Amino acid sequence: MQLFVLIMALLPVLLTDISLANQKSAQLVLQKFEKLVVRSSSRTVDSVLDALVSENAPETAEVLAKWEAKELYFLQTDKRFYFIDNRTTTNNDKIQLVLFDGSYGPLLTTDKALKQLKPNSGVRKKIRQELVRFQLQDTTPSVRALALTQLERNATQEHLEPLQEALASETEPNLRARMERLQRRLLISFGQDSSTRVTNIEFLSSDISVDVRQTLNPLIETELFILHASESLDGKNIKKQLIVGQDISVEDAYAILVDKGLEPRLMGKEERNKILIDNIKDGKVADIPVSLLNQQNMRDRAYTNLVAAGLAPNEFTTQQLRQKLTAYKFFEIYIEKDSAVTAAAEAALKDINQKVGFYKAFDLLLDSLSLASIYFLAAIGLAITFGVMGIINMAHGEFIMIGAYTGYVVQQIIPDYTIALLVAIPLAFCITFCAGVLLERSVIRHLRQRPLETLLATFGISIALQQLAKNIFGTQARPLTAPDWLDGALIVNDVVSISLIRIAIFFLALLFLAILIYVLKRTRFGLEVRAVTQNARMASSVGINPEKVNMLTFGLGSGIAGIAGIAIGLFAQVTSEIGSAYIVQSFMTVVVGGVGNIWGTMAGAGMIGGVQKAIEWLYPSNTLAAQTYMIIFIIIFIQFRPKGIIALKGRAAED
Amino acid sequence: MKKIALITALTLTTSLSAALADIKVGVLHSLSGTMAISETTLKDTMLMLIEEQNAKGGLLGEKIVPVVVDPASDWPLFAEKTRELLTVQNVDVIFGAWTSVSRKSALPVLEELNGLMFYPVQYEGEESSKNVFYTGAAPNQQAIPATDYFLEELGVEKFALLGTDYVYPRTTNKILEQYLKDKGIPASDIFVNYTPFGHNDWSKIVADVVALGADGKKVGVISTINGDANIGFYKELAAAGVSADDIPVVAFSVGEEELSGLDTSNLVGHLAAWNYFQSSKNEANASFVKKWKAKMGANRVTNDPMEAHYIGFNMWVNAVEKAGTTDVDAVRKAMYGQTFPNLTGGTAEMLPNHHLKKPVLIGEIQSDGQFDIISQTAEVPGDAWTDYLPESAELVSDWQSLGCGMYNTKTKTCIQLTSNY
Repeated sequence: MQLFVLIMALLPVLLTDISLANQKSAQLVLQKFEKLVVRSSSRTVDSVLDALVSENAPETAEVLAKWEAKELYFLQTDKRFYFIDNRTTTNNDKIQLVLFDGSYGPLLTTDKALKQLKPNSGVRKKIRQELVRFQLQDTTPSVRALALTQLERNATQEHLEPLQEALASETEPNLRARMERLQRRLLISFGQDSSTRVTNIEFLSSDISVDVRQTLNPLIETELFILHASESLDGKNIKKQLIVGQDISVEDAYAILVDKGLEPRLMGKEERNKILIDNIKDGKVADIPVSLLNQQNMRDRAYTNLVAAGLAPNEFTTQQLRQKLTAYKFFEIYIEKDSAVTAAAEAALKDINQKVGFYKAFDLLLDSLSLASIYFLAAIGLAITFGVMGIINMAHGEFIMIGAYTGYVVQQIIPDYTIALLVAIPLAFCITFCAGVLLERSVIRHLRQRPLETLLATFGISIALQQLAKNIFGTQARPLTAPDWLDGALIVNDVVSISLIRIAIFFLALLFLAILIYVLKRTRFGLEVRAVTQNARMASSVGINPEKVNMLTFGLGSGIAGIAGIAIGLFAQVTSEIGSAYIVQSFMTVVVGGVGNIWGTMAGAGMIGGVQKAIEWLYPSNTLAAQTYMIIFIIIFIQFRPKGIIALKGRAAED
Repeated sequence: MKKIALITALTLTTSLSAALADIKVGVLHSLSGTMAISETTLKDTMLMLIEEQNAKGGLLGEKIVPVVVDPASDWPLFAEKTRELLTVQNVDVIFGAWTSVSRKSALPVLEELNGLMFYPVQYEGEESSKNVFYTGAAPNQQAIPATDYFLEELGVEKFALLGTDYVYPRTTNKILEQYLKDKGIPASDIFVNYTPFGHNDWSKIVADVVALGADGKKVGVISTINGDANIGFYKELAAAGVSADDIPVVAFSVGEEELSGLDTSNLVGHLAAWNYFQSSKNEANASFVKKWKAKMGANRVTNDPMEAHYIGFNMWVNAVEKAGTTDVDAVRKAMYGQTFPNLTGGTAEMLPNHHLKKPVLIGEIQSDGQFDIISQTAEVPGDAWTDYLPESAELVSDWQSLGCGMYNTKTKTCIQLTSNY
């Protein structure tokens, strides 16, 4: 029965096939290249694409687009290619296949014989490349933009003409500008006459974008060219002549000649030593005792003696090598033939590279500011509890963690990320504030004046809290997703860019700096905090309740850690270890900046962030080593300024 | 209270009687600490597999009892816990470890006490122990095919090798660097960077990678970044607007499990190379995924090391049945040539060098956190000693006929039997 249905379904297909036999058909091309289409590879797909394009069937563009979007299917039973119809909603459990001309193909009950074609991104790139010619003059601007993006990535000479045609009819000013720019790049690479190319190079010479550099850099690629001294160069675009001994060492130059097969190979050190060993007689080599041969000059002398005695092949001295090299000239020549173009490209790139260097420094500065603000935010709570109150709270990192998980939980409840973030920030503050108060009341209060025990107790609590988080939220990292308006980056140009989240964190850090300074310097509570910190007994005698102040101060520090947790979770990962990753940096920031001073914490964060980025820049291949060097730097720094960058002076500084 | 006491008494008696007769399987995966993120899943996998086998009537007519210990991501503790499993609990086999450093820590104990361990994770190779079966991928089953894919299919000319700073990424990158140089990529076109575990400040590194493309060459990233640092890396990549069409990233340690902590909409098209993906269309896989979801919850995913345990455990069961005993040496001999259908279609085979013959899959990340398989090779035999480093090219491992894990084919001698290198 099923077979019958299948045949009935196939019948119209077979009939249309006969009527189409003489027409152009993308289906037939695909069927001809069945293997290469079904198991596509970017190495072999070119022949298929060429055939498809030269067939020039009306449906080619659509077939290519569907193939690229992984929406082309191959039915193994009839060896044909289909689209899937997603318009019909009546046949939910069945799959309606559609032919390229839009007519219905077979209706399948299972997808067993159906194979979805999944071209890899290399193949997709090539398909898109072919699609460009159909899309560049599409009526929808978004399709044209897509084609343009593809071309900007990878345009070749053959795209110049369709691009110029499209440019003539383009009306969108935005797309027009992009097309003009791309046209300039293509004219630089593939332009016919030298003056067009040079004009376009000059036009783009102030542009530091990666794509312009990608166009210009290949123009100034060089290769080494060797010439016999008697010959003369003709038609080569010389960058410069390499002078042996100055631009290139004698040994290197000779090695190049050997590589090219122009001169015989020199003896290596090992072969030379082997000859010396072979000639050991009665503990001597050419009358020099073996015991003396641990020095290079004695070995040289022994070898010269051997040569003189005819026992070893002659060896060239540097002098002789130099002599031999005079028979050749070494040139660095441009692969690009046109000397006007290379000169223009060199000049443009010199300009561009100077600018890129400047922007890179600027980008590094932005990066270090961003890192500093993150450290500041993580450490500012600690600056209060450790800096102002003198409590070593190893569980500070876990308050950061609690804040981050609060953000995650709120996002699970409130689907709108913006509202969730607005709710999460005060909520995280409240929860960690309460957790801080609880910790202060239950543990720290009883261990006052005993820093070592506070340290151990809070360290234990930190481990317990981490495990608790693992039990509640599992060990997987949890997503804390930024709202759309914080997604992406502020891109100044191709060199300078910074993600919006980092900018937001920077301003959040500034905001908290302002709030804390205000609270500590301008409010009654701040006055009480400073009084209790300086002399608790005196403060209590003027009517301040030191217990209450301590509790609230600790809560405030913890609460800010909670907010820091949300900020960190937005750009990093929310795991139970998030806090322990920041606790060391936080303590370092507070200590380097100067204990007991909010401004100091800022200075400390700025210094650590800056130094870290500077070391990373000097030593790009190992970030872990960069962090190690930074710790060494800090240890040395603390030796010279034990009280940190901003040291408290006067009576408050006395311990 | 009484009830609890009763239950404890009951479990005590059952575990006592279990100690007398049953077959014991040790599960050595970290349930706390940094690696818990990955290893807890494997513990659950093992419990599921054992439960299933017991439902089928156990093994050799006896029940299999799992013995779960927690080495807490503390590398030396892996050695202690291995000793405890082998001497106190007297287990017949151990399934465990994730990081290479934890495996290296357990190795001497396994060899001293002649234990048997199945190691399920892709690793750097350059090792072969008589007492370990490596069911994860060797470099030639993951890193090399993925690099070939970059070179041949995507036309990448400039490589950024980013890794976490420990033995697996360092060894893998060393092999890859040599491999790329052999393929004609100049050293100046290979950028290497190592970051600490849990690193999360990626802005500069991502900017460095983008800057590599300034000379017009196609850039690709090969990532051996491990653990949760990946999340920050991918977030920064997405924020910088790096699309997979511009700079593709292929990762060797990012699977379905790691992606479940991420919003993948910005990562669509980036790649991962494994021997298994959950999206593989196969009946065996469909039923495995279904069982896993039924046991652990609908939003849980399966991944490559889970498949490695699935194959390893079933092969061990078959080998025990073939040998008729759980004696380590007998089971080891019965293991060679064992075949078992893997979850992606095709058959895995245990080779005399204690590695599996498995297919290599390359998948593209999709917006739902799953992988779209775009390339699947035939089964590739795992190679313990890579052919791409001169010092190990002449070494082979063959425990079946040569009885040696580090055999020099040039001098025709066995260099050593233990793996304390």
